[in-house]
Amino acid sequence: MLEEALEHLVRGIVEHPDEVTVDLRDRRQGRVLEVRVHPEDLGKVIGRAGRTAKALRAVMGGLGGRNVRVDLVDVDRGR
Amino acid sequence: MTVDSTSGTPAEDVAADSEDMSLLEREGDIAADYLEVLLDIADLDGDIDIDVEGDRAAVSVVGSGLDRLIGADGATLDALQELTRLAVHRVTGVRSRLMLDVGGHRARRRDELTELGTAAANRVAQSGSEERLDPMTPFERKIVHDAVAAVAGVETESEGEEPARYIVIRPV
Repeated sequence: MLEEALEHLVRGIVEHPDEVTVDLRDRRQGRVLEVRVHPEDLGKVIGRAGRTAKALRAVMGGLGGRNVRVDLVDVDRGR
Repeated sequence: MTVDSTSGTPAEDVAADSEDMSLLEREGDIAADYLEVLLDIADLDGDIDIDVEGDRAAVSVVGSGLDRLIGADGATLDALQELTRLAVHRVTGVRSRLMLDVGGHRARRRDELTELGTAAANRVAQSGSEERLDPMTPFERKIVHDAVAAVAGVETESEGEEPARYIVIRPV
């Protein structure tokens, strides 16, 4: 559920919704939701002073993912 | 869907003429779609009310069992409002000032703050000495300013820097 919720929240705010993927990974430090977006959208999901990333984390925390980290992965495609 | 591509700047001052009215209604619809899908995914029950309050779209998720979307002091609600505004902005191209409420949280908070502001204003009017309130968000300060404005013999001012900005009530 958490991946699907995060994917929906991110897709709604970016210019390239089809290129949004979210993967839930089990790491030694705990569970991590890895978000990948089109490189042009990275700034959008981070937001001014990290505001949007903070909002995404807050909502995911509320939805029961308090022990889940949200990572925005810089893919840097085509380099 | 038509988006006016010639207007690249956000509408700073939205007057309540019919064109802006339809923009606000559209904002409500876009927000409702965004939230509806989230509720579905999270398996939460809630009805979505869309309204226009003054120069803003007002969207409320109504229902019980929505605490997960409110959070401590409404922090999760504020975050969800931020994301909803961005989702609206992406579709309309206009920066949104939409107000989101969940489970009546803001409505309750508005009542509390109105009471608090009125009581403090009455104290200042009677005692003649100024009073400094706790730090509040811009949304909260607006409610208190409005409540104090309804009491004769006092004035308000905000002092300090965000996020520790607070209201001072003074006798006039």
